[in-house]
Amino acid sequence: MSANPTLIAGGGPQMRKPLWWAALTVVIVTALVPALFIVAAGKNPLTAYVALLAYTLGSTNGFYEVLTHSIPLMLVGLGVAIAFRAGAFNIGGDGQFLMGAMAAFACAPLFAGLPQPLGLVLYLAAGFAGGAVLGALVGWLLVRFRASEIISTIVLNFIVLQLLSWVIRGPLQEPSRLMPWSDYLPETLLLPNLIPGSRVHYGLVVAIVAVAVLAVLVRKTAFGFRLTAVGRNPFAARYAGLREKRVVVWAMLISAGMAGLAGSVQVAGIHERLQDNFSSGYGQAAIAIALMARLSPLWVPPMALLFAVFYVGAGVLQREANIPFPIVYIIEGVVILGFLCFDAIAGKKEAA
Amino acid sequence: MDLMIAGLAAAGIRLSISIAFAALGETVSQRAGVMNVGLEGIMLFSAFLAAAGAVYSGSPWGGVALAILGGLLLAAVHGWVSIYLCANQIVSGLALVFLGAGLSGVGYRLTIGGAPVTIPSFPAVNFGPLREIPFIGPVFFSHTLLVYIAIALAIVLYLALPRTGWGLELRAAGENPHAADAAGINVNRYRLMAVLFGGAMAGLGGAFLVLAQVNAFVEGMVAGRGFIAIACVVFGGWNPLGVLIACMGFGLADALQIRLQTWYPGVPYQFFVMMPYGVALVALVIFASRSFGPAALGLPFRSLRARRSAS
Repeated sequence: MSANPTLIAGGGPQMRKPLWWAALTVVIVTALVPALFIVAAGKNPLTAYVALLAYTLGSTNGFYEVLTHSIPLMLVGLGVAIAFRAGAFNIGGDGQFLMGAMAAFACAPLFAGLPQPLGLVLYLAAGFAGGAVLGALVGWLLVRFRASEIISTIVLNFIVLQLLSWVIRGPLQEPSRLMPWSDYLPETLLLPNLIPGSRVHYGLVVAIVAVAVLAVLVRKTAFGFRLTAVGRNPFAARYAGLREKRVVVWAMLISAGMAGLAGSVQVAGIHERLQDNFSSGYGQAAIAIALMARLSPLWVPPMALLFAVFYVGAGVLQREANIPFPIVYIIEGVVILGFLCFDAIAGKKEAA
Repeated sequence: MDLMIAGLAAAGIRLSISIAFAALGETVSQRAGVMNVGLEGIMLFSAFLAAAGAVYSGSPWGGVALAILGGLLLAAVHGWVSIYLCANQIVSGLALVFLGAGLSGVGYRLTIGGAPVTIPSFPAVNFGPLREIPFIGPVFFSHTLLVYIAIALAIVLYLALPRTGWGLELRAAGENPHAADAAGINVNRYRLMAVLFGGAMAGLGGAFLVLAQVNAFVEGMVAGRGFIAIACVVFGGWNPLGVLIACMGFGLADALQIRLQTWYPGVPYQFFVMMPYGVALVALVIFASRSFGPAALGLPFRSLRARRSAS
């Protein structure tokens, strides 16, 4: 069982003040990282940044794109936060995302004939279930066999990736059997457009509802309390009579379910069919998002928006200054390291 | 039939070495009490550095040198954050995974990614007549120098960890840092050295992948080997020879998987590609509950003196 005493699970009035400072510091530092590469590429970082901000936050189209990207980031980020709270390092968000998408897509013909709201709800539930099965498996292996969830989630990522590759070339391939993708999702199961003239879809509503539900779950329910208790100190939690193994399995189940839900939302809202590797590293980014949000569901949306700006902004930097897209991964790494350093320094001050 | 088995065994050994380097480094690091889950990132970064170094210097050794430097650099970050700032080792390692993936992708696309390049790679060592021995020749005497270095490394570590003074002190740092500290051992220096060694070896593993296994660089080519290396440390029971054997098991599964693809063209190839990962998952379930790592693994150490001076 992995106890994570150094991970400060959000909340508590004493944590609020450092959060702002930490967020600001980390944002500034991460903004400087691409600047190094832009300078190295012989371009002016200032003009590149102006272009980035002008597009992502200064233009309606750009901001709609940011909103669109924030939907999956928010959902997966929420999931990661729940697992980390219980001390389970779910780093398999990408695999669970794809699994949810596949499960929902495979069930789609069953729901296609139903009235739209009902069919859609069932479709999304299938997505949640697809991810949740993987998560429950990982959680069970963790508490029953002490099988490190870090390794099992990563290994499952690769297995699911192959599964998707087979599914779109085999059982779910489009009818002409030429291209490596599936048929389109039935029309009734597509998430309708939320803002006309943009790609923003009703997934945003799903994400906001999810934030509310999980915030209530974490803050107001006994389960949320157990989650945090187990994450902070599993031994004390067990001593206090909590069945900590059960809590960990449920946390992994919900966590992976959220990633699965994100997968089904992404298919119904954006791609409309299954294709190779469409998870775009959301599972990775979600870890940085959850850590920046201090594992607090209410802080996930702003951090997801911030990362959506990075995602969309990386596209701008690619056009403006030829900076390749993986710069986003560097930013994710630097964000996490920045937070660790900040925590350590703040912790030392507190102790002094 | 013999020829086929010999080919399979030889390929199994070759495919295990990149994992073995990383896993042996991780063994040392974990025996000193520091977990580094960022091996994947280090391997990704140094795979790129190996390719770039080999291309620019015209020699695979240039690639190896650069890859080791890159591994040291990322490991130093992890060491500083997790040992001296006492931050969570797992989270810090995850940061390394992303950082390595990013540096690898950005670096590649900004340098050698523009046009196809040939990467100078390692030739097989010339053993002369030994190469001609039936079966044994092709299995054991057909490899590049790095393969023998990895095997020698496992044997040296196997002998040195329990028998030498520094081996004892290193293990003390991972088993009972307070006792080690009281005995006058600089626990955190040992830990930093072990983490740096682990980083250098993971770098070598990444370099092997490019310079002696694939002979090319592809983004994301490490494909989970860094995490499988960590699993191998568990399977091998933190014993260098056991770890090497575990890695060879994976190498064999990988070699077998590639052959099965051609033997059974009717079965979708994706199921064969999944196989080594499936083996990892099953092995993890079997071995994880039976093996116990160093007692102080994952726990940051702050000596009593340091704690007193802080308060």
